[in-house]
Amino acid sequence: MNINQIKKEFPIFDEKIQNNDLVYLDSANSSQKPKVVVDRINEFYTKQFSNVGRSVHYLAVAATNLYENTRTSVQKYINAKDKNEIVFTKGATEALNLVANTLGQSYLQEGDEVLITELEHHSNYVPWHFLRKSKNIKINFAEINEEGEITLEEIEKKITPKTRLISITHLSNVTGAILPVKEITQLAHSKGIIVVVDGCQGAPHLKLDMQELDCDFYAISCHKMYGPTGLGVLYGKKKWLEELPPYQGGGGMINEVKKDRISYGELPNKYEAGTMATAQVIAFDQSIKFLESIGIENVMKHEADLVEYGQELLQKNNSVKLIGNPKNKGGVLSFVIEGVHPHDIATILDEDGVAIRAGHHCCQILHDKLNIPASARASVGIYNTKEDLDQLNESINNCKKIFNL
Amino acid sequence: MNLKELYQEIILEHGKNPRNLRKTEDFNKDAKGNNPLCGDNVHVYLKLNGQKIVEDISFEGSGCAISMASASIMTDLIKGKNEHEAKEIVEDFLGMIKENPELMSENLDEDEKTKLMSLSGVKQYPMRVKCATLSWHTLISAFDENKEEVKTEN
Ligand SMILES: Cc1ncc(COP(=O)(O)O)c(C=O)c1O
Repeated sequence: MNINQIKKEFPIFDEKIQNNDLVYLDSANSSQKPKVVVDRINEFYTKQFSNVGRSVHYLAVAATNLYENTRTSVQKYINAKDKNEIVFTKGATEALNLVANTLGQSYLQEGDEVLITELEHHSNYVPWHFLRKSKNIKINFAEINEEGEITLEEIEKKITPKTRLISITHLSNVTGAILPVKEITQLAHSKGIIVVVDGCQGAPHLKLDMQELDCDFYAISCHKMYGPTGLGVLYGKKKWLEELPPYQGGGGMINEVKKDRISYGELPNKYEAGTMATAQVIAFDQSIKFLESIGIENVMKHEADLVEYGQELLQKNNSVKLIGNPKNKGGVLSFVIEGVHPHDIATILDEDGVAIRAGHHCCQILHDKLNIPASARASVGIYNTKEDLDQLNESINNCKKIFNL
Repeated sequence: MNLKELYQEIILEHGKNPRNLRKTEDFNKDAKGNNPLCGDNVHVYLKLNGQKIVEDISFEGSGCAISMASASIMTDLIKGKNEHEAKEIVEDFLGMIKENPELMSENLDEDEKTKLMSLSGVKQYPMRVKCATLSWHTLISAFDENKEEVKTEN
Protein backbone atom coordinates (compact mmCIF):
# COMPACT_ATOMS: atom_id res chain seq x y z
CA MET A 1 0.00 0.00 0.00
CA ASN A 2 1.45 3.33 -1.06
CA ILE A 3 0.30 6.09 1.25
CA ASN A 4 1.63 8.86 -0.93
CA GLN A 5 -0.49 7.49 -3.75
CA ILE A 6 -3.54 7.45 -1.47
CA LYS A 7 -2.77 10.96 -0.29
CA LYS A 8 -2.84 12.14 -3.90
CA GLU A 9 -6.49 11.15 -4.06
CA PHE A 10 -7.26 13.97 -1.58
CA PRO A 11 -7.23 17.32 -3.42
CA ILE A 12 -6.78 19.33 -0.22
CA PHE A 13 -3.18 18.17 0.06
CA ASP A 14 -2.39 20.02 -3.18
CA GLU A 15 -3.30 23.27 -1.44
CA LYS A 16 -0.93 25.48 0.47
CA ILE A 17 -2.43 26.37 3.82
CA GLN A 18 -1.01 29.77 4.83
CA ASN A 19 2.05 28.93 2.69
CA ASN A 20 2.55 25.57 4.35
CA ASP A 21 2.01 22.00 3.28
CA LEU A 22 -0.93 20.75 5.26
CA VAL A 23 -0.16 18.32 8.07
CA TYR A 24 -3.70 17.30 8.89
CA LEU A 25 -3.94 15.65 12.28
CA ASP A 26 -7.59 16.34 13.05
CA SER A 27 -9.33 13.37 11.46
CA ALA A 28 -11.08 12.36 14.68
CA ASN A 29 -12.87 15.68 14.33
CA SER A 30 -13.58 15.25 10.64
CA SER A 31 -11.68 13.55 7.84
CA GLN A 32 -10.64 15.08 4.55
CA LYS A 33 -12.49 14.01 1.40
CA PRO A 34 -11.13 12.04 -1.54
CA LYS A 35 -11.72 13.48 -5.00
CA VAL A 36 -14.17 10.73 -5.93
CA VAL A 37 -16.51 11.87 -3.17
CA VAL A 38 -16.28 15.56 -4.05
CA ASP A 39 -16.74 14.77 -7.75
CA ARG A 40 -19.72 12.57 -7.08
CA ILE A 41 -21.55 15.42 -5.33
CA ASN A 42 -20.80 17.71 -8.24
CA GLU A 43 -21.85 15.13 -10.81
CA PHE A 44 -25.10 14.38 -9.05
CA TYR A 45 -26.06 18.04 -8.83
CA THR A 46 -24.99 18.88 -12.38
CA LYS A 47 -26.24 15.82 -14.27
CA GLN A 48 -28.58 13.69 -12.23
CA PHE A 49 -30.34 15.78 -9.65
CA SER A 50 -33.85 15.04 -8.54
CA ASN A 51 -35.56 14.45 -5.24
CA VAL A 52 -35.91 10.82 -4.28
CA GLY A 53 -38.91 8.63 -3.67
CA ARG A 54 -41.59 11.09 -4.71
CA SER A 55 -42.02 11.29 -8.46
CA VAL A 56 -42.20 8.83 -11.29
CA HIS A 57 -40.14 10.74 -13.83
CA TYR A 58 -36.86 9.35 -15.03
CA LEU A 59 -34.54 11.45 -12.88
CA ALA A 60 -36.52 10.77 -9.73
CA VAL A 61 -36.40 7.05 -10.25
CA ALA A 62 -32.70 7.12 -11.05
CA ALA A 63 -31.93 9.24 -7.96
CA THR A 64 -33.99 6.93 -5.76
CA ASN A 65 -32.05 3.95 -7.05
CA LEU A 66 -28.73 5.66 -6.37
CA TYR A 67 -29.87 6.60 -2.89
CA GLU A 68 -30.95 3.04 -2.15
CA ASN A 69 -27.69 1.69 -3.60
CA THR A 70 -25.79 3.46 -0.85
CA ARG A 71 -28.04 1.84 1.71
CA THR A 72 -27.12 -1.54 0.33
CA SER A 73 -23.42 -0.63 0.26
CA VAL A 74 -23.56 0.42 3.90
CA GLN A 75 -25.42 -2.74 4.81
CA LYS A 76 -22.72 -4.85 3.21
CA TYR A 77 -19.87 -2.75 4.58
CA ILE A 78 -21.02 -3.18 8.16
CA ASN A 79 -22.45 -6.68 7.55
CA ALA A 80 -25.95 -5.90 8.73
CA LYS A 81 -28.48 -8.65 8.17
CA ASP A 82 -31.06 -6.49 6.45
CA LYS A 83 -30.95 -3.41 4.23
CA ASN A 84 -33.78 -1.90 6.24
CA GLU A 85 -31.60 -1.85 9.31
CA ILE A 86 -29.77 1.11 7.79
CA VAL A 87 -31.29 4.53 8.50
CA PHE A 88 -29.79 7.77 7.21
CA THR A 89 -29.65 10.69 9.63
CA LYS A 90 -28.02 14.10 9.62
CA GLY A 91 -25.14 12.81 11.70
CA ALA A 92 -24.22 10.49 14.52
CA THR A 93 -25.65 13.06 16.89
CA GLU A 94 -29.07 12.73 15.31
CA ALA A 95 -28.73 8.94 15.25
CA LEU A 96 -28.09 8.87 19.01
CA ASN A 97 -30.91 11.34 19.65
CA LEU A 98 -33.23 9.17 17.59
CA VAL A 99 -32.39 6.11 19.68
CA ALA A 100 -32.71 7.89 23.03
CA ASN A 101 -35.91 9.65 22.02
CA THR A 102 -37.75 6.62 20.68
CA LEU A 103 -36.59 4.31 23.47
CA GLY A 104 -37.65 7.03 25.89
CA GLN A 105 -41.10 7.18 24.32
CA SER A 106 -41.87 3.51 24.46
CA TYR A 107 -39.30 1.43 26.29
CA LEU A 108 -37.53 3.12 29.18
CA GLN A 109 -39.56 3.75 32.31
CA GLU A 110 -39.13 5.98 35.31
CA GLY A 111 -36.42 4.60 37.57
CA ASP A 112 -34.73 2.62 34.80
CA GLU A 113 -30.98 2.95 34.64
CA VAL A 114 -28.83 3.74 31.63
CA LEU A 115 -25.15 2.91 31.88
CA ILE A 116 -22.72 5.06 29.90
CA THR A 117 -19.00 5.71 30.43
CA GLU A 118 -16.75 8.58 31.40
CA LEU A 119 -15.33 8.47 27.89
CA GLU A 120 -18.54 9.48 26.18
CA HIS A 121 -18.84 12.35 23.76
CA HIS A 122 -21.54 14.85 24.73
CA SER A 123 -23.73 13.40 21.98
CA ASN A 124 -23.85 10.10 23.85
CA TYR A 125 -24.67 11.76 27.16
CA VAL A 126 -26.92 14.75 26.56
CA PRO A 127 -29.69 12.74 24.80
CA TRP A 128 -29.84 10.42 27.83
CA HIS A 129 -29.81 13.47 30.09
CA PHE A 130 -33.00 14.61 28.31
CA LEU A 131 -34.60 11.37 29.51
CA ARG A 132 -33.23 11.92 32.97
CA LYS A 133 -35.16 15.21 32.95
CA SER A 134 -38.32 14.06 31.21
CA LYS A 135 -38.68 10.48 32.43
CA ASN A 136 -36.66 10.36 35.60
CA ILE A 137 -34.35 7.67 34.38
CA LYS A 138 -30.98 7.41 36.11
CA ILE A 139 -27.62 7.64 34.37
CA ASN A 140 -24.65 5.71 35.74
CA PHE A 141 -21.06 6.13 34.60
CA ALA A 142 -18.56 3.33 34.14
CA GLU A 143 -15.20 4.74 35.20
CA ILE A 144 -11.93 4.74 33.32
CA ASN A 145 -8.88 2.99 34.72
CA GLU A 146 -5.37 4.45 34.92
CA GLU A 147 -4.77 3.75 31.24
CA GLY A 148 -7.91 5.55 30.13
CA GLU A 149 -9.72 2.32 29.28
CA ILE A 150 -13.15 0.97 30.11
CA THR A 151 -12.88 -2.70 30.95
CA LEU A 152 -15.50 -5.42 30.76
CA GLU A 153 -15.08 -5.89 34.52
CA GLU A 154 -15.90 -2.24 35.18
CA ILE A 155 -19.05 -2.51 33.07
CA GLU A 156 -20.02 -5.66 34.92
CA LYS A 157 -19.47 -3.91 38.25
CA LYS A 158 -21.73 -1.01 37.29
CA ILE A 159 -24.64 -3.11 36.05
CA THR A 160 -27.50 -3.19 38.54
CA PRO A 161 -30.83 -5.03 38.41
CA LYS A 162 -32.31 -1.78 37.09
CA THR A 163 -29.88 -1.33 34.19
CA ARG A 164 -31.88 -1.57 30.99
CA LEU A 165 -29.51 -0.04 28.51
CA ILE A 166 -25.78 0.40 27.99
CA SER A 167 -24.56 3.10 25.62
CA ILE A 168 -20.84 3.17 24.91
CA THR A 169 -18.32 4.49 22.48
CA HIS A 170 -16.53 1.98 20.27
CA LEU A 171 -13.30 3.99 20.30
CA SER A 172 -12.62 6.95 22.57
CA ASN A 173 -12.04 10.21 20.72
CA VAL A 174 -9.69 11.32 23.52
CA THR A 175 -7.73 8.37 24.93
CA GLY A 176 -8.08 6.23 21.81
CA ALA A 177 -9.21 3.26 23.91
CA ILE A 178 -11.04 0.61 21.91
CA LEU A 179 -13.81 -0.87 24.04
CA PRO A 180 -14.55 -4.61 24.12
CA VAL A 181 -17.95 -4.00 22.55
CA LYS A 182 -18.60 -7.59 21.57
CA GLU A 183 -17.92 -8.90 25.08
CA ILE A 184 -19.90 -6.08 26.67
CA THR A 185 -22.82 -6.87 24.38
CA GLN A 186 -22.69 -10.56 25.26
CA LEU A 187 -22.72 -9.74 28.93
CA ALA A 188 -25.50 -7.19 28.54
CA HIS A 189 -27.69 -9.46 26.46
CA SER A 190 -27.30 -12.26 28.99
CA LYS A 191 -29.00 -9.87 31.42
CA GLY A 192 -31.61 -8.58 28.99
CA ILE A 193 -29.90 -5.20 28.61
CA ILE A 194 -29.80 -3.48 25.22
CA VAL A 195 -26.61 -2.03 23.81
CA VAL A 196 -26.15 1.20 21.87
CA VAL A 197 -22.74 1.94 20.36
CA ASP A 198 -21.44 5.36 19.41
CA GLY A 199 -19.42 4.19 16.43
CA CYS A 200 -18.19 7.60 15.27
CA GLN A 201 -14.55 6.80 15.83
CA GLY A 202 -14.93 3.07 15.29
CA ALA A 203 -16.46 3.14 11.84
CA PRO A 204 -13.63 4.91 9.96
CA HIS A 205 -10.86 2.88 11.58
CA LEU A 206 -12.07 -0.59 12.55
CA LYS A 207 -13.54 -3.60 10.81
CA LEU A 208 -17.27 -3.52 11.28
CA ASP A 209 -19.48 -6.56 11.51
CA MET A 210 -22.85 -5.86 13.06
CA GLN A 211 -23.84 -9.51 13.18
CA GLU A 212 -20.69 -10.40 15.03
CA LEU A 213 -20.78 -7.40 17.39
CA ASP A 214 -24.48 -8.10 17.94
CA CYS A 215 -25.17 -4.66 19.44
CA ASP A 216 -28.72 -3.34 19.10
CA PHE A 217 -27.81 0.07 17.67
CA TYR A 218 -24.67 1.52 16.11
CA ALA A 219 -24.29 5.20 15.20
CA ILE A 220 -21.95 6.30 12.39
CA SER A 221 -20.75 9.74 11.38
CA CYS A 222 -20.12 9.83 7.62
CA HIS A 223 -18.02 12.98 7.65
CA LYS A 224 -15.39 11.22 9.74
CA MET A 225 -15.38 8.35 7.26
CA TYR A 226 -14.07 10.23 4.21
CA GLY A 227 -17.65 11.15 3.41
CA PRO A 228 -19.76 14.31 3.21
CA THR A 229 -20.94 16.40 6.16
CA GLY A 230 -24.61 16.46 7.12
CA LEU A 231 -24.89 12.70 7.04
CA GLY A 232 -24.90 9.91 9.56
CA VAL A 233 -26.04 6.32 9.65
CA LEU A 234 -28.01 4.59 12.33
CA TYR A 235 -27.81 0.84 12.31
CA GLY A 236 -30.61 -0.69 14.36
CA LYS A 237 -31.72 -4.27 14.67
CA LYS A 238 -34.85 -4.75 12.64
CA LYS A 239 -36.94 -5.85 15.58
CA TRP A 240 -36.16 -2.58 17.34
CA LEU A 241 -36.75 -0.33 14.38
CA GLU A 242 -40.04 -2.06 13.71
CA GLU A 243 -41.16 -1.90 17.29
CA LEU A 244 -40.12 1.64 18.23
CA PRO A 245 -42.24 4.68 17.35
CA PRO A 246 -41.16 7.20 14.69
CA TYR A 247 -38.81 10.01 15.63
CA GLN A 248 -39.73 12.94 13.37
CA GLY A 249 -42.99 13.40 11.55
CA GLY A 250 -43.45 14.71 8.04
CA GLY A 251 -43.41 13.69 4.43
CA GLY A 252 -41.98 10.37 3.40
CA MET A 253 -42.43 8.63 6.73
CA ILE A 254 -46.18 8.14 6.51
CA ASN A 255 -48.43 5.50 5.08
CA GLU A 256 -51.84 7.14 5.24
CA VAL A 257 -52.83 10.55 6.60
CA LYS A 258 -56.45 11.30 7.51
CA LYS A 259 -57.99 14.02 9.63
CA ASP A 260 -58.55 11.60 12.46
CA ARG A 261 -55.73 9.10 12.07
CA ILE A 262 -52.27 8.64 10.65
CA SER A 263 -50.41 5.46 9.93
CA TYR A 264 -46.69 5.33 9.46
CA GLY A 265 -44.59 3.98 6.64
CA GLU A 266 -42.48 0.87 6.64
CA LEU A 267 -38.77 0.72 7.28
CA PRO A 268 -36.56 2.47 6.43
CA ASN A 269 -38.88 5.34 5.41
CA LYS A 270 -40.40 5.40 8.87
CA TYR A 271 -37.24 7.10 10.18
CA GLU A 272 -36.42 9.25 7.17
CA ALA A 273 -38.91 12.10 7.36
CA GLY A 274 -38.61 14.98 4.93
CA THR A 275 -36.14 15.51 2.12
CA MET A 276 -32.95 13.78 3.09
CA ALA A 277 -29.33 14.69 2.38
CA THR A 278 -29.67 13.09 -1.03
CA ALA A 279 -26.42 14.20 -2.63
CA GLN A 280 -24.46 13.29 0.46
CA VAL A 281 -25.99 9.82 0.63
CA ILE A 282 -25.22 9.21 -3.02
CA ALA A 283 -21.65 10.47 -2.61
CA PHE A 284 -21.13 8.40 0.52
CA ASP A 285 -21.23 5.33 -1.68
CA GLN A 286 -17.91 6.53 -3.04
CA SER A 287 -16.45 6.80 0.47
CA ILE A 288 -17.29 3.19 1.08
CA LYS A 289 -15.85 2.14 -2.26
CA PHE A 290 -12.74 4.15 -1.44
CA LEU A 291 -12.32 2.36 1.90
CA GLU A 292 -13.02 -1.00 0.29
CA SER A 293 -10.44 -0.36 -2.40
CA ILE A 294 -7.78 0.07 0.28
CA GLY A 295 -9.12 -2.65 2.52
CA ILE A 296 -9.97 -2.03 6.15
CA GLU A 297 -7.23 -4.44 7.30
CA ASN A 298 -4.68 -2.24 5.54
CA VAL A 299 -6.20 0.89 7.04
CA MET A 300 -5.98 -0.63 10.50
CA LYS A 301 -2.41 -1.78 10.01
CA HIS A 302 -1.28 1.60 8.72
CA GLU A 303 -2.97 3.55 11.49
CA ALA A 304 -1.68 1.19 14.18
CA ASP A 305 1.87 1.75 12.87
CA LEU A 306 1.34 5.50 12.93
CA VAL A 307 0.01 5.52 16.48
CA GLU A 308 2.84 3.38 17.75
CA TYR A 309 5.36 5.65 16.06
CA GLY A 310 3.69 8.82 17.30
CA GLN A 311 3.33 7.49 20.80
CA GLU A 312 7.01 6.66 20.98
CA LEU A 313 8.00 10.06 19.63
CA LEU A 314 5.86 11.95 22.11
CA GLN A 315 6.83 9.72 25.02
CA LYS A 316 10.45 10.58 24.35
CA ASN A 317 9.67 14.26 24.24
CA ASN A 318 9.98 15.39 27.82
CA SER A 319 7.33 17.82 29.02
CA VAL A 320 4.77 16.10 26.77
CA LYS A 321 2.35 13.96 28.71
CA LEU A 322 0.12 11.59 26.77
CA ILE A 323 -3.43 11.10 27.99
CA GLY A 324 -4.26 7.46 28.43
CA ASN A 325 -2.20 4.44 27.51
CA PRO A 326 -4.73 1.81 26.48
CA LYS A 327 -3.54 -1.57 25.29
CA ASN A 328 -6.01 -1.48 22.44
CA LYS A 329 -5.60 1.97 20.95
CA GLY A 330 -6.95 3.73 17.88
CA GLY A 331 -5.40 6.63 15.99
CA VAL A 332 -5.73 9.31 18.63
CA LEU A 333 -2.86 11.00 20.48
CA SER A 334 -4.12 13.39 23.15
CA PHE A 335 -1.58 15.20 25.23
CA VAL A 336 -0.78 18.10 27.48
CA ILE A 337 2.44 20.05 27.89
CA GLU A 338 3.10 21.33 31.36
CA GLY A 339 3.29 25.11 31.21
CA VAL A 340 1.61 25.51 27.82
CA HIS A 341 -2.14 25.61 27.49
CA PRO A 342 -3.59 23.42 24.68
CA HIS A 343 -4.97 26.48 22.84
CA ASP A 344 -1.54 28.01 22.73
CA ILE A 345 -0.16 24.70 21.47
CA ALA A 346 -2.77 24.58 18.69
CA THR A 347 -2.10 28.17 17.61
CA ILE A 348 1.65 27.63 17.49
CA LEU A 349 1.35 24.32 15.61
CA ASP A 350 -1.01 25.93 13.14
CA GLU A 351 1.71 28.35 12.16
CA ASP A 352 3.61 25.35 10.75
CA GLY A 353 0.55 24.01 8.95
CA VAL A 354 -0.04 21.35 11.62
CA ALA A 355 -3.78 21.11 12.25
CA ILE A 356 -4.74 19.60 15.59
CA ARG A 357 -7.61 20.16 17.97
CA ALA A 358 -7.46 21.79 21.39
CA GLY A 359 -10.20 21.86 23.97
CA HIS A 360 -12.26 19.23 25.72
CA HIS A 361 -13.28 17.56 22.44
CA CYS A 362 -16.90 17.41 23.62
CA CYS A 363 -15.79 15.22 26.54
CA GLN A 364 -16.05 17.44 29.58
CA ILE A 365 -16.83 14.58 31.95
CA LEU A 366 -13.56 12.90 30.99
CA HIS A 367 -11.50 16.08 31.31
CA ASP A 368 -13.01 16.76 34.73
CA LYS A 369 -12.05 13.24 35.75
CA LEU A 370 -8.50 13.77 34.52
CA ASN A 371 -8.51 17.11 36.29
CA ILE A 372 -7.48 19.10 33.23
CA PRO A 373 -9.57 21.83 31.61
CA ALA A 374 -8.47 20.92 28.10
CA SER A 375 -6.05 18.85 26.08
CA ALA A 376 -4.39 18.90 22.67
CA ARG A 377 -5.26 16.10 20.29
CA ALA A 378 -3.53 14.83 17.18
CA SER A 379 -5.52 12.18 15.33
CA VAL A 380 -4.64 10.27 12.20
CA GLY A 381 -6.34 9.12 9.03
CA ILE A 382 -5.39 6.98 6.08
CA TYR A 383 -3.49 9.85 4.43
CA ASN A 384 -1.07 10.51 7.29
CA THR A 385 2.57 9.52 7.23
CA LYS A 386 5.34 9.19 9.79
CA GLU A 387 6.72 12.45 8.42
CA ASP A 388 3.51 14.14 9.61
CA LEU A 389 4.22 12.92 13.11
CA ASP A 390 7.84 14.05 12.87
CA GLN A 391 6.55 17.49 11.95
CA LEU A 392 4.14 17.36 14.89
CA ASN A 393 7.01 16.62 17.22
CA GLU A 394 9.16 19.35 15.72
CA SER A 395 6.39 21.92 16.05
CA ILE A 396 5.85 20.86 19.65
CA ASN A 397 9.52 21.58 20.22
CA ASN A 398 9.05 25.03 18.71
CA CYS A 399 6.18 25.52 21.11
CA LYS A 400 8.42 24.67 24.03
CA LYS A 401 11.02 27.09 22.74
CA ILE A 402 8.53 29.95 22.51
CA PHE A 403 7.43 29.24 26.06
CA ASN A 404 11.03 28.98 27.26
CA LEU A 405 10.61 25.39 28.43
CA MET B 1 6.77 36.55 12.75
CA ASN B 2 3.17 36.76 13.89
CA LEU B 3 3.78 34.26 16.66
CA LYS B 4 6.44 36.48 18.16
CA GLU B 5 3.96 39.33 18.23
CA LEU B 6 1.33 37.16 19.81
CA TYR B 7 3.56 35.62 22.43
CA GLN B 8 5.59 38.61 23.54
CA GLU B 9 7.74 38.22 26.63
CA ILE B 10 5.35 40.28 28.72
CA ILE B 11 2.44 38.01 27.76
CA LEU B 12 4.39 34.89 28.57
CA GLU B 13 5.51 36.38 31.85
CA HIS B 14 2.01 37.43 32.92
CA GLY B 15 0.64 34.12 31.64
CA LYS B 16 3.07 32.24 33.79
CA ASN B 17 2.83 34.42 36.88
CA PRO B 18 -0.57 36.09 36.74
CA ARG B 19 -1.01 39.07 39.07
CA ASN B 20 -4.01 39.17 41.38
CA LEU B 21 -4.85 35.52 40.79
CA ARG B 22 -6.67 35.10 44.07
CA LYS B 23 -9.98 35.94 45.64
CA THR B 24 -10.57 39.33 47.28
CA GLU B 25 -11.96 38.24 50.62
CA ASP B 26 -14.19 41.28 51.20
CA PHE B 27 -15.31 41.77 47.60
CA ASN B 28 -18.64 43.52 47.03
CA LYS B 29 -19.12 42.74 43.34
CA ASP B 30 -18.23 39.73 41.22
CA ALA B 31 -19.09 37.98 37.98
CA LYS B 32 -18.23 34.79 36.16
CA GLY B 33 -17.39 34.26 32.53
CA ASN B 34 -16.54 31.32 30.35
CA ASN B 35 -15.82 30.33 26.78
CA PRO B 36 -17.95 27.24 26.24
CA LEU B 37 -15.95 26.32 23.19
CA CYS B 38 -12.54 26.44 24.85
CA GLY B 39 -13.43 25.67 28.43
CA ASP B 40 -11.66 28.84 29.60
CA ASN B 41 -13.27 30.32 32.69
CA VAL B 42 -12.77 33.34 34.87
CA HIS B 43 -14.29 34.75 38.05
CA VAL B 44 -13.64 38.44 38.67
CA TYR B 45 -13.93 39.96 42.17
CA LEU B 46 -14.17 43.69 42.87
CA LYS B 47 -13.98 45.73 46.00
CA LEU B 48 -15.37 49.22 45.42
CA ASN B 49 -15.26 51.89 48.09
CA GLY B 50 -17.85 54.62 48.70
CA GLN B 51 -16.40 56.77 45.91
CA LYS B 52 -16.70 53.85 43.51
CA ILE B 53 -12.96 53.49 43.35
CA VAL B 54 -11.63 49.98 42.80
CA GLU B 55 -9.78 49.30 46.02
CA ASP B 56 -9.06 45.74 45.06
CA ILE B 57 -9.61 43.52 42.07
CA SER B 58 -8.71 39.87 41.67
CA PHE B 59 -9.60 36.87 39.59
CA GLU B 60 -9.71 33.12 39.66
CA GLY B 61 -9.85 30.81 36.70
CA SER B 62 -7.91 28.92 34.13
CA GLY B 63 -7.16 29.36 30.49
CA CYS B 64 -4.51 29.83 27.85
CA ALA B 65 -1.54 32.19 28.12
CA ILE B 66 -3.47 34.90 26.30
CA SER B 67 -6.51 34.82 28.56
CA MET B 68 -4.46 34.57 31.77
CA ALA B 69 -2.12 37.38 30.72
CA SER B 70 -5.05 39.52 29.66
CA ALA B 71 -6.80 39.09 33.01
CA SER B 72 -3.55 39.69 34.85
CA ILE B 73 -2.75 42.93 32.99
CA MET B 74 -6.34 44.07 33.31
CA THR B 75 -6.45 43.67 37.07
CA ASP B 76 -3.14 45.52 37.39
CA LEU B 77 -4.44 48.47 35.38
CA ILE B 78 -7.89 48.72 36.88
CA LYS B 79 -6.82 48.81 40.49
CA GLY B 80 -7.12 52.37 41.79
CA LYS B 81 -9.33 53.60 38.96
CA ASN B 82 -12.94 54.58 39.57
CA GLU B 83 -15.84 52.76 37.94
CA HIS B 84 -16.30 55.35 35.23
CA GLU B 85 -12.61 55.32 34.27
CA ALA B 86 -12.46 51.55 34.40
CA LYS B 87 -15.40 51.13 32.03
CA GLU B 88 -13.89 53.63 29.66
CA ILE B 89 -10.64 51.66 29.65
CA VAL B 90 -12.51 48.42 28.93
CA GLU B 91 -14.24 50.05 25.99
CA ASP B 92 -10.96 51.39 24.67
CA PHE B 93 -9.32 47.98 25.01
CA LEU B 94 -12.16 46.14 23.25
CA GLY B 95 -12.07 48.73 20.47
CA MET B 96 -8.35 48.24 20.03
CA ILE B 97 -8.61 44.44 19.94
CA LYS B 98 -11.35 44.66 17.34
CA GLU B 99 -10.21 47.42 15.02
CA ASN B 100 -8.52 50.52 16.39
CA PRO B 101 -4.79 50.74 15.78
CA GLU B 102 -4.16 52.55 19.07
CA LEU B 103 -5.49 53.00 22.57
CA MET B 104 -7.02 56.42 23.06
CA SER B 105 -8.12 56.47 26.67
CA GLU B 106 -7.04 59.45 28.72
CA ASN B 107 -7.27 57.30 31.79
CA LEU B 108 -4.17 55.31 30.86
CA ASP B 109 -0.61 56.61 31.02
CA GLU B 110 1.96 55.71 28.36
CA ASP B 111 3.36 52.85 30.38
CA GLU B 112 -0.03 51.31 30.87
CA LYS B 113 -0.81 51.70 27.19
CA THR B 114 2.40 49.93 26.21
CA LYS B 115 1.54 47.08 28.53
CA LEU B 116 -1.94 46.74 27.08
CA MET B 117 -0.73 46.99 23.51
CA SER B 118 1.28 43.81 24.09
CA LEU B 119 -2.06 42.04 23.60
CA SER B 120 -2.60 43.58 20.18
CA GLY B 121 -0.95 40.62 18.41
CA VAL B 122 -4.21 38.77 19.02
CA LYS B 123 -5.83 40.81 16.24
CA GLN B 124 -4.25 38.54 13.67
CA TYR B 125 -5.78 35.48 15.29
CA PRO B 126 -9.55 35.90 15.13
CA MET B 127 -10.10 32.60 16.95
CA ARG B 128 -8.08 33.89 19.88
CA VAL B 129 -9.74 37.29 20.32
CA LYS B 130 -12.27 35.80 22.69
CA CYS B 131 -9.43 34.52 24.89
CA ALA B 132 -8.17 38.08 25.29
CA THR B 133 -11.55 39.67 25.89
CA LEU B 134 -13.24 37.23 28.27
CA SER B 135 -12.01 38.78 31.52
CA TRP B 136 -12.82 42.31 30.29
CA HIS B 137 -16.41 41.44 29.46
CA THR B 138 -16.62 39.75 32.83
CA LEU B 139 -15.34 42.88 34.57
CA ILE B 140 -18.14 44.93 33.04
CA SER B 141 -20.59 42.29 34.13
CA ALA B 142 -19.27 42.54 37.70
CA PHE B 143 -19.67 46.33 37.73
CA ASP B 144 -23.20 46.03 36.39
CA GLU B 145 -24.03 43.17 38.73
CA ASN B 146 -25.24 40.93 35.94
CA LYS B 147 -26.19 37.64 37.42
CA GLU B 148 -25.81 35.75 34.20
CA GLU B 149 -22.51 34.21 33.30
CA VAL B 150 -20.66 35.96 30.48
CA LYS B 151 -20.15 33.79 27.43
CA THR B 152 -17.82 35.11 24.78
CA GLU B 153 -17.88 33.36 21.49
CA ASN B 154 -16.14 36.25 19.81
C1 LIG C 1 -17.19 9.91 19.70
C2 LIG C 1 -18.08 10.86 18.95
N1 LIG C 1 -19.41 10.75 19.07
C3 LIG C 1 -20.25 11.57 18.41
C4 LIG C 1 -19.79 12.57 17.56
C5 LIG C 1 -20.77 13.44 16.82
O1 LIG C 1 -20.89 13.04 15.49
P1 LIG C 1 -21.60 13.94 14.37
O2 LIG C 1 -20.68 15.05 14.07
O3 LIG C 1 -21.77 13.03 13.17
O4 LIG C 1 -22.92 14.36 14.86
C6 LIG C 1 -18.41 12.70 17.41
C7 LIG C 1 -17.88 13.74 16.53
O5 LIG C 1 -17.62 14.87 16.89
C8 LIG C 1 -17.54 11.83 18.13
O6 LIG C 1 -16.22 11.95 18.02
